[in-house]
Amino acid sequence: MTLFVLSILVFAASQLLPGDIGRNVLGPFASSHDVQALNHELGVDRPIYVQYGDWIWRLAHANLGMSLEYKVPVASLLGPSLINSLKLATVAFLLVVPLSIIGGVFAALRRGHLPDRVITLTGLSLTAVPEFISAIMLILIFGLLLNWLPVTAASPPESDVITQVKYLLLPGMALVMVLFGYIARMARAGTIEALDSDYTRTAYLKGLDTRTVISRHVLRNSLLPTIAVIATQMGYLIGGLVVIEKLFNYNGIGQRIYTAALNKDFTMLQSGVLVVGLVYLTATLIADVLYSLLNPRIRYAAAE
Amino acid sequence: MDREIRRRLTDDRRTLAGPIGNILIDELLDGRVDRREFLRRASVFGLSTSVIGTALVAAACSSSPSSSSSGGKVGGRLRVGIIPPPAHDIEPHTFADQGALETGSIAGEHLIRAAPGLKLVAELATSWNPNGDASAWTVKLRQNVKFQTGQVMTADDVVATYKRLVSPTSGSQALSAFKHVLSPDGVSKVDDNTVMFQLDNPTASFPYLLSSTTYQGIILPANYLLGTFTSKPQTTGAFVLKSYTPGVGAKYDRYTGWWGGHAALDGVDVNYYQDAAAADAALLGGTIDLIAQINVSTDRALFNNSKFQIFGGRGATHREVPMRVDLDNPLKDKRVRQAIALTLDRPAIVSTLFNKFADVGNDTPWAPVYPSSVGPPDVPQRQQDVNKAKQLMAAAGFGNGFSITLTTEMTGEIPQLAQIIQRSVKAIGIDLKLSVLTSTAYFAGSQTGPPSGYGDTPWLNAPINITDWGHRSVPNVFLTAALESNGVWNAAHYSNPQFDAAAKGFIGAISIDDQRKYAKQAETILLEDTPVIFPYFYNYLAGGTQAVKGYYADPQGTVFLSHTSLG
Repeated sequence: MTLFVLSILVFAASQLLPGDIGRNVLGPFASSHDVQALNHELGVDRPIYVQYGDWIWRLAHANLGMSLEYKVPVASLLGPSLINSLKLATVAFLLVVPLSIIGGVFAALRRGHLPDRVITLTGLSLTAVPEFISAIMLILIFGLLLNWLPVTAASPPESDVITQVKYLLLPGMALVMVLFGYIARMARAGTIEALDSDYTRTAYLKGLDTRTVISRHVLRNSLLPTIAVIATQMGYLIGGLVVIEKLFNYNGIGQRIYTAALNKDFTMLQSGVLVVGLVYLTATLIADVLYSLLNPRIRYAAAE
Repeated sequence: MDREIRRRLTDDRRTLAGPIGNILIDELLDGRVDRREFLRRASVFGLSTSVIGTALVAAACSSSPSSSSSGGKVGGRLRVGIIPPPAHDIEPHTFADQGALETGSIAGEHLIRAAPGLKLVAELATSWNPNGDASAWTVKLRQNVKFQTGQVMTADDVVATYKRLVSPTSGSQALSAFKHVLSPDGVSKVDDNTVMFQLDNPTASFPYLLSSTTYQGIILPANYLLGTFTSKPQTTGAFVLKSYTPGVGAKYDRYTGWWGGHAALDGVDVNYYQDAAAADAALLGGTIDLIAQINVSTDRALFNNSKFQIFGGRGATHREVPMRVDLDNPLKDKRVRQAIALTLDRPAIVSTLFNKFADVGNDTPWAPVYPSSVGPPDVPQRQQDVNKAKQLMAAAGFGNGFSITLTTEMTGEIPQLAQIIQRSVKAIGIDLKLSVLTSTAYFAGSQTGPPSGYGDTPWLNAPINITDWGHRSVPNVFLTAALESNGVWNAAHYSNPQFDAAAKGFIGAISIDDQRKYAKQAETILLEDTPVIFPYFYNYLAGGTQAVKGYYADPQGTVFLSHTSLG
């Protein structure tokens, strides 16, 4: 249902972009007749609902169509871009999730003390800094001054996994700076709520040591909202990194969609947005499954 | 001049030089042009080396023309950054954007190469000679040139390429240059190695149109199939396009069958960048060796840095500020247009936006780099004069100013220029509102040009706008497309028969004196009418590491790497 609504939205939105497809493809000197002929050939002169139905029909047959600008199959361009985006998202995910959860939980355990204030303040400050500033700072410091890491995210062809990760570290760190504050804050709030709850007090009264109470009772409950938050960030991590991809010259799906929107490449734009939507929904589904695994109440409710 | 030289010169004049060659020799001997300008013009009109040498000796010039090529280190792959990526598929005759023409130019070649200093160098043509009034040109082709497909280049290939280039139905982007100059029927084969161009109108600068200045004119085989440029190597250049990924990059290897011998580089790896900051970081961080185009405003990190070199090509790249002369608003009055032009402090604008890498404009398309440019003192340089501007506004009945919207595109320094103009005209009471669009939106819509109208595209219809214009080796396109009545890109909708006549005279003029005579007429008319403000002409800049040798920044934007090496 969500995908259906998204498909209608993206299709409608792309129709609102300025310019004429045929004119865009053929250039300024083409006659109106040629432009109309091409528009007819591409089918963009048909009623919108017919175009939409045709598009959905082709999608259902796994046919994303041809790029209007590059004259090659959309899938041949979107595929590698999606894989690149998934790689970057994975590196960012592996960096930001443990860091921010550990940070958030630690801050909650030291509530009101210096570590809590440092973590909270740093997280908030980093979130407030736009990603193009934090990315440029990282490039300047780690790429150009210290010369530790490559300044572009795309590794040379045929690179091994370690080299690829090395190239993705800087953009990954830029994403950590964007997301750390948000996720750590959620983890901190969840942990504080769990620490103040009756079941934690009961666990202590049962005589369990702090380590067991935290790992078995507190974390299990406190991380539930954090997981939901992380899942909602997956859409951003896959399709929303236009600025990061631009600065690190990375061929990700965000850049593809952005360029398609600029060039009025309808087929690329629509398919790109839909693919990101699909990834987002998948991430949400995985989060839901994880949520149920961690939260026995949901499982019991389902069993009933 | 001793007797022997005089005899040789007389012989050459009679047998080899032809009428136009004799005009050029007269100019040299009379001191109207210097040695360098003589060489440039001799290259335009295809004078033989023997005639050039004799004329230079006769003029007591010591050396003969030479084509220097620096012998660089052999080997290595040059990593080039191109900003932005091609916006469309790579199809030479449709090249309209920087990314596409740069990508195509690494593999492609032209009949003639436009070299630094507006000099023309033989590439796939070996000679080009006009008839008496420059209305027909005979081009001899280089023999034993092989396309990367293995087939030998002949006149059929050149004819097919040029017919497509000047065809009104092919989607060619070179029509602005060839309109009223060459039609498909005017291109014909004489024999396997000779092509005849019968022009619609006499055009003394026609060889420039055959040169890499017309970057769409990459010679392709007669059996070339549209849409196969990136999938099948079929150019004649020193490098073979091996792979191309839209928006990502391209790879080229050395073409071992190149007619020019052995290129120094093993290959070229192109990376596309959407953003200047990312390309700068890549160059600074050692990921690439060369950025094909940089700007003072966006790439400051590369200037004054001893690790890098700036390749500068003085040219005629510029911005135009056309003001519609035909709408029912204050801009219809030429005094208002003059007043707006008078508010601009051009030297300050050039200094702010381009550091030292630009020439001040004088509201005509004759950039100072053109030998035909007249300029001061014969045509006075327009300078900032706010008091005079206020008087003109008052005389036109707009002493209290007015409000109008300037429409432009988000390209390079243009938004900054728009703000400078906005601040400048405030001094004469004009409330200039800015509408800055993306390039796509700015050039969107129909723009078929007269006689069917200017369509509905913003850039040809807004009351006042700013548009980016590339370099040309001669100002012809700026005259015919942007300023002549019914010009296809006449955004001011300007029409003045006197100017049209002067422009036509200029384009057909052969001697430099005649060219300057017509240029002076046209420049004076434009300064008076001011349909378009030309604030500056800026240099085409490229940036690279110190290891890059034998490269020059082509003002047209082509990336010419046949003689480039790494060290």
